[in-house]
Amino acid sequence: MLAFAGSLVHAGLGSQGTLNPAGWPQLRRFLAAAAHPATSPEFIRLTLDATLTTLAYAVLGTAVAVGIGVVGGVAISESWWRRPPSGRPRRTGRAGEVGPWLASRLVVSLPRGVHEAVWGLALVTILGLDPLVGVLAIGVPYGAVTAKVYAELLDETPTGAFEALRTAGVGRLRALTYTLAPLAFPDMLSYAFYRFECAIRGAAILGIIGAGGLGFQLALSFQSLRYDEMWTLIYALMAVCGLADWWSTALRRRSALPPRTIAGLGDVGDSEQRLTGATRSALGRDRRLHASAAVVVALVVVSLWHLGVDVSTLWAPRAQRLASEMAASSFPPDLGVEELARLVVLSLQTLEMSVIAAVVASLAGTAMAFVIAGGVEAEQRAGVLQRVGAGAARGLLLVCRAVPPPVGALLLLFVLLPGPLPGALALAVYNAGILGRLMAEVVENLDPAPARALRSQGASAPQAFCYAILPRTLPRFAAFGLYRWEVAIRETVVVGLVGAGGLGRLLAQQLAAFDYRGATATLAALVVLTVAVDMVSSSVRRALR
Amino acid sequence: MIRPDPGGGNRGIRNRSWRQRESDPGTAPVFSLRGAGVRFGATWALEGVDLEVGAGERVALVGPSGAGKTTLLSLLNGSRRPTAGRVAVLGRDLATVRPSELRHLQRRVGTVHQQHHLVGPLRVVHNVNAGRLGEWSLLEAVRSLISPTDVAAAEAALARVGIAEKLYERTDTLSGGQQQRVALARVLVQRPVAILGDEPISSLDPARAEEVMQLLAGLAGDAGRALVVSLHAVEHALRHCNRLVGLRQGRLVFDAAAAEVTPVMVEELYRIDQSTDEHGEGAA
Amino acid sequence: MNATDSLDVFEACTTPLRPRTTRAGTSATRPSGRPLRRLPGARMLLVLAALLVVTGACASTDGATHGERASGGDDQVFTIGAIPDQDPERLQRLYGIVADHLGEELGVAVEYEPVTDYAASVSLFRTGDLDMVWFGGLTGVQARLQVDGAEAILQRGIDERFHSIFIANTAAGLQPVDDVAGLSQLAGKRFTFGSESSTSGRLMPQFFLEQAGVSPETDFAGAAGFSGSHDKTIELVAAGTFEAGVVNEQVWTSRTEAGEVDLDKVTAIFRTPPYHDYHWVIRPDVVERFGDDFVTRVKAAFTELDPRDPNDAEILELFGAEEFIETDNDNYAEIEQVARDLGLIAQ
Repeated sequence: MLAFAGSLVHAGLGSQGTLNPAGWPQLRRFLAAAAHPATSPEFIRLTLDATLTTLAYAVLGTAVAVGIGVVGGVAISESWWRRPPSGRPRRTGRAGEVGPWLASRLVVSLPRGVHEAVWGLALVTILGLDPLVGVLAIGVPYGAVTAKVYAELLDETPTGAFEALRTAGVGRLRALTYTLAPLAFPDMLSYAFYRFECAIRGAAILGIIGAGGLGFQLALSFQSLRYDEMWTLIYALMAVCGLADWWSTALRRRSALPPRTIAGLGDVGDSEQRLTGATRSALGRDRRLHASAAVVVALVVVSLWHLGVDVSTLWAPRAQRLASEMAASSFPPDLGVEELARLVVLSLQTLEMSVIAAVVASLAGTAMAFVIAGGVEAEQRAGVLQRVGAGAARGLLLVCRAVPPPVGALLLLFVLLPGPLPGALALAVYNAGILGRLMAEVVENLDPAPARALRSQGASAPQAFCYAILPRTLPRFAAFGLYRWEVAIRETVVVGLVGAGGLGRLLAQQLAAFDYRGATATLAALVVLTVAVDMVSSSVRRALR
Repeated sequence: MIRPDPGGGNRGIRNRSWRQRESDPGTAPVFSLRGAGVRFGATWALEGVDLEVGAGERVALVGPSGAGKTTLLSLLNGSRRPTAGRVAVLGRDLATVRPSELRHLQRRVGTVHQQHHLVGPLRVVHNVNAGRLGEWSLLEAVRSLISPTDVAAAEAALARVGIAEKLYERTDTLSGGQQQRVALARVLVQRPVAILGDEPISSLDPARAEEVMQLLAGLAGDAGRALVVSLHAVEHALRHCNRLVGLRQGRLVFDAAAAEVTPVMVEELYRIDQSTDEHGEGAA
Repeated sequence: MNATDSLDVFEACTTPLRPRTTRAGTSATRPSGRPLRRLPGARMLLVLAALLVVTGACASTDGATHGERASGGDDQVFTIGAIPDQDPERLQRLYGIVADHLGEELGVAVEYEPVTDYAASVSLFRTGDLDMVWFGGLTGVQARLQVDGAEAILQRGIDERFHSIFIANTAAGLQPVDDVAGLSQLAGKRFTFGSESSTSGRLMPQFFLEQAGVSPETDFAGAAGFSGSHDKTIELVAAGTFEAGVVNEQVWTSRTEAGEVDLDKVTAIFRTPPYHDYHWVIRPDVVERFGDDFVTRVKAAFTELDPRDPNDAEILELFGAEEFIETDNDNYAEIEQVARDLGLIAQ
């Protein structure tokens, strides 16, 4: 915590941005346009088409990610590599067991260290104009993180049955299919839907870098400073994001899945929250689940059709030639003394941006979550004002996470001088939108009894909040914030592309100059930074638990 | 200080400020219920209950699951409003007092729950100090979270329940019995005129249950406080309370001195018949 | 699809500029971007309805039918592109006309493929998705460095002697100057370029700024901005968001002549020395696909545009050209040198 505060102060001092009040009228014009979005029939049609494109990338990207996640998750789970028990204590494997497991973990952390937008930029140089670019740009990095989470889910699942079968001489895969997989399934499903939510936002960002869809149209409208059109597109994005969020939350609630599920957050809930066998089997009969499965299949089919995905592109000779050209021009990375020094300086700047983003997002998200929770507070106590406030807060959070950060950064550039600060703040706003929703879900699921107990002995509402709600939510929130910090460090690249500072800015310059060897070095620095933050963050989160 | 009352009833009592009442607790019973009832949907969890509890009384609420014991207790501490009838604490009708006075009355009533309802991630000292929230301002409350204030009082209360050494432990690291003691200490620093216990011992083993009951009875006896405690085990009730109130299907079946309760009355109270109601009493 | 895009997506124009108001209601002409297939609303609904009967098996066949040119594999189509230096809707209209004209003149299928940013146009030229691209000075050099044998073939008359205009908000207290040294007064001001990969909105202006001793990295208030386009530069400087900026002369002239610029708020302060800018660059492999004389025929299709022919005149007018003339790779050596000095070309 202390380190957190310290780096914030440092980041605040280190950043160059200052206010530029002269740009305020522009921003005001943008905000005013929210009241009258473009509604001409052609533009609505264009928006619908773009929405379908964004949705299609998200659906197919998630499908690829889940595919990679299932295969990869099994391959890197400790359970998979562990030998049948032979009387020795568990989890103290020999090098022969730990080795492959560790190596496979490293394999997933690489794709994860790079933002999907960067994947998109890399893939387009190999595949050219092809819808697979967008699908794989989402699918590969998401697949890596999904694999990691699935592996953790499998490893956390009680292994008694699995080991019993293994001891009985059943093969690894079959034992896993019969024991761990069904137990972990609800959590894995829940996580897949969480990924889908993220994929929609990711697809919007990919649109901005040219993949088409809502993000692309948003960028075009912004270039023409057509704020009314921008709002039409933003509302479309909000609708899609909101729908995905709602679907995923409904499914989670419906299936009585524990809130830990936002499982990627590694914030594993109480073990008593694990599902009982009864609810698990009830899950199988859930009609809503079946309906969801049908919708998913339908969505995948429509997406394939709409994008016209042709997998053979991957094996086409041109792709191979371009890939090898790309590889040849990207290696060895530029790592002279001068380059290294620059990378270190910019890495610090990136770190500062991510810290500002994560801290501001956490604070804002926390505040919003409590406003929302206040409006739905159990008992009949929530007044009209609180309900209105909660509704407004939900809407605001939805806008925050529907506006892709590069667009947010460009908007902030109206009122802030160019530099790292507008980028960091754009990320903060975006992540506040995501965090606020996750946090509100936590508060809503909190057992209200302790707060009620305090109220019944005469404590005021704010007092009960300080003593009964805050202490139980803040550690969770801190864990969320730390997780978003990891994400924010990757996302600095996206705002870097529009001129905000740090490694992303350097990467943008290098790509514009087709300096692939330099870009490789920058990406390596970014991956190192991400892995480092990942390690710090997860060790702090473990301590918080 | 007091809201204009268009009905005009009860003016004589309502014109006396609560400060006067506080200095004069003897003139009114601690709790007074007149025809009190609570309805959940179509069913009455509690119906037509008349009950008075005076200072120094130790009352046990007994009866089968779903009889309305928890609901009755929630009426007494003001966390639930009656659907019908009146509930008065220290002579003041909870339905007509203004919110600030309600809070003041609530802080004179301490409640111990079966599930403790403590805040796990907080240190013990904060959970104990939470009993002071009714008298503290928000600012004092927040300041105490940062650096605990009035540690001496908290420590004394913990000493009284026998776990003074746990002052700075994280509450969720304590055992169930220890947590129940923390809940008791919290009630103690509240300096209440009445202590309510909602199945305070049903999750404890027999030895610890006996200890906690002794503590509760002792704490109530300390300062002439009233004690109202719901219990599953009639033997505990007979041993530690001087008055037993039997509830069954939301109705008061008997209200008798401990010495007058006969095995037949108890057997009748817990008799199982087909119509045993299935709705809970608001659960724990 | 490349890094710089959002900011740089477009730098405006070397083409004559219709009054900006004509853009209203033209959204139907705007590119829908990749994917190339565009679904009209009705068809989209049909898809959703058809869902109930569509099975997974259909997906692959659908994918195949719609997989047209998914990876630039169709040898029979001559694909042209352009850096997105102006309003995408205008580009769509302009290059639609150009594609039609070329199709008639060359007797092959010609398609225009929209891209979202400067670097993407270079990347797609390299991958072969684009056969011929209307590049700026810098992007043309970058593209030729990445495709052996690629050739700069055509430019407009004005591209031989192109200029940039430095503009300033009238309240900023900046004075009109006659020589490069006068640019030193910009130090300490809030300044914006156009697009990052733009020749007239960034590369050459930065070159002249450095000659005047002003380093964009350190000498402005905050870092130098990249507005993304010439139009946005004018708008942001007029609004006072930035105190000064730099635009391509053709845009400035066009906008001021059309009365779209409030000259009480924004004024020109310096006209740069001339340099080479926009040109068509063509891939060498078109010869194998369309015949040995293909490049010659493409050149002719442009150089023979006749201002007296209404159709030809429209194309010339859209390009803001009086005529097209031949050019060659050597004309851009200076640009390449400046770009290397400024670190905009690696290797």
